[in-house]
Amino acid sequence: MMPFDIRPDAVMQEVSAYSKKLTHGLQNLMEVGEISTGVTPKTAVYHEDKLTLFRFEQPKDAIPNKVPLLIVYALVNRPYMTDIQENRSTVKALMAAGQDVYLIDWGYPDRADRYLTLDDYINGYLDRCVDVICERHRVPKINILGICQGGTFSLCYSALHPEKVQNLVTMVTPVDFQTPDNMLSHWVQQVDVDLVVDTMGNVPGEMLNWTFLNLKPYQLMGQKYLGLLDTLDDPEQLKNFLRMEKWIFDSPDQAGEAFRQFIKDFYQQNKLLKGGLEIGEPVNLKNVTMPVLNIFAEQDHLVPPDASRAMRGKLGTKDYTELSFPGGHIGIYVSGKAQKTVPPAIGKWLDERS
Amino acid sequence: MADPNNAWMGNWLNSQQNYWKAWTDMAQSGIKTPEAPKNPWADGISQWWQAVSPMAPPTGRDVFDKLMDVSRGYFSMAEKFMNSAGKETSMDAMNGWFENMQTTWNDWMSNGGLLRPDAQHKSMMTFWDLPLDTWQRLAANVIPMPGDFTQAFHPEGASDHMRGQVNRFLSIPAVGYSREFQEQYQILGQRMVDYSKAVHDYQMSFGKLAVETTQEFQASVQEMAKDGKSLSSLREIYDKWVEMSEAAYARFVMTQEYQSLYGRLVNNLLAVKQQMARIVDGNLEAMHMPTHAEISTLQRRQQELRRDNLQLRKEIKAIQQQLEAMRQRDLQTPAAPKATAAKPAAVAKAPAAKKPVAKAPAKTPAKPATKAAAPTKPAAKK
Repeated sequence: MMPFDIRPDAVMQEVSAYSKKLTHGLQNLMEVGEISTGVTPKTAVYHEDKLTLFRFEQPKDAIPNKVPLLIVYALVNRPYMTDIQENRSTVKALMAAGQDVYLIDWGYPDRADRYLTLDDYINGYLDRCVDVICERHRVPKINILGICQGGTFSLCYSALHPEKVQNLVTMVTPVDFQTPDNMLSHWVQQVDVDLVVDTMGNVPGEMLNWTFLNLKPYQLMGQKYLGLLDTLDDPEQLKNFLRMEKWIFDSPDQAGEAFRQFIKDFYQQNKLLKGGLEIGEPVNLKNVTMPVLNIFAEQDHLVPPDASRAMRGKLGTKDYTELSFPGGHIGIYVSGKAQKTVPPAIGKWLDERS
Repeated sequence: MADPNNAWMGNWLNSQQNYWKAWTDMAQSGIKTPEAPKNPWADGISQWWQAVSPMAPPTGRDVFDKLMDVSRGYFSMAEKFMNSAGKETSMDAMNGWFENMQTTWNDWMSNGGLLRPDAQHKSMMTFWDLPLDTWQRLAANVIPMPGDFTQAFHPEGASDHMRGQVNRFLSIPAVGYSREFQEQYQILGQRMVDYSKAVHDYQMSFGKLAVETTQEFQASVQEMAKDGKSLSSLREIYDKWVEMSEAAYARFVMTQEYQSLYGRLVNNLLAVKQQMARIVDGNLEAMHMPTHAEISTLQRRQQELRRDNLQLRKEIKAIQQQLEAMRQRDLQTPAAPKATAAKPAAVAKAPAAKKPVAKAPAKTPAKPATKAAAPTKPAAKK
């Protein structure tokens, strides 16, 4: 049997159909209008430098958990991923699960922020946000949900300030930065980070984008756009695609010193796991004594599941729970399945402990 | 009144349908096409996008640009299959196609990473070139030069011998009044040669990967044929190709070889940038203008001051709260004997309420006191 069973006229029809879709798609593209992101109403409750702390507005009749929940997102992308559209909003789903949700937007660092360190981010900005929330709610400690790099920050923060964290939830959070399947880690081992930061100052978001796209270049730079062709007829799906595309390429520059320390201490030397990490003072994971819920994605190509699972047994807590999600790094916030399962599980877990 | 854009689009669509219909009729009737451009479909779609892209809104134009890039490769693949399918019906046609691809890649590698003008599969090769193409766009933003400036070193300069000669030339000791300036430019030249070598090696590694993957793809479809399976549409072929390419790529990029290539690519680009910045700083200094290094020093000191300032404010707040707590205690001590029976209980709570606020900024654990703060604070206000 021939491995390619394609007749010339079938090829012609396929190409013709492709061409027709392109033309119609362009028409839809012209009518698509502005792409909105961040759908749930929210109020800025605290500003500092480029940072804004938001509180999402509760429905009038809601009686949320008395202990507020702070979402700490990564520095490398924008946090509106957690609230990207009406039917794909982790924030909305967390609120529906009875949580009073706050979110840190780190903003876009510019050259004046080049000397911000991890100490400034974690013991400075993050700590002051926690204080603001504690004061607003007159509670001594809050719940924290850290996502990706934000999860690593939250873990470090919880080790440094355990008295201010009631419960810690980590989502797709790396702890072991040198698992054998970690591509990012493998690539960065011979990069001279000092040269990068000393030369560039801040590290351009574009550079990170290139790195992330190269994790699966033929899918992310090629096949994905061919897939778009199948959805070009549907304006809503086209909007969803463009919204996601906007988020993917909306990468803030990274403050130089924080980047230097993150790459050297975490990726190159794996100090969070091996010990020896200092952020203002030594970070000891045994100080993480509050309940911890660790959520990871089984098909995560950015943070392999084993990088997150490494948390098990390394913390000081006696109340440690894992939740494995059958999806990828982004799917865990935006897929329909995730919306139905992950935030309700977080809400339930928090309610039982707050 | 009809939207002129829509009317224009409709006309375009009609003419396009006619175009495809004509091609289909020809294909079905088995008529050999007259002399046509080498890649009529891929070229056609490029021309179409060139014509309509000015009308596309800024939102999504990038996306459509990328879709067009992918489409050109896809159409090129379709053309190759169309030609094979029209002329031959045996496994030889497919094998010929694969071998042709490999020859093109080998040619490309022996030509120092440059496509010969008459190269076949040009559009399809852009598929493999995606990581490097994106890198070159990035590099163009990092250093103020075209991303593909390293091509200037190819093919004549591609050999190590030639690079050695250039390096020796750049190592001639500088002399005279402008010696330091000369040295700086010599260093820049050497770094650019090093970077071009790093890009070249990176590029070559992808050439090898492409050849290997093409061979694997060929073997894989032959296996499929043995199992009685087949790929029945262009899309299936493309998806299979992507799947195999990703698998081969994922294996390659986890090797020590790739780790080294990647490190050299990034480090050498940054070394060029660093030297350029030094030269610019030298010129700025000569003109008594602030240099990058000076501004960087100011930014560092400003951040240090800001950090100190925040820490001092935190400490002052803590001291103020401690003072307030002490003042409250002092007020209570003499007042205690005069107080009524109900009052001591009320004021006794107050210090507990203030304590944690004072202690919290100093990062003391003070768990019990902190817990007491929450209920008492609002009560005190009432």
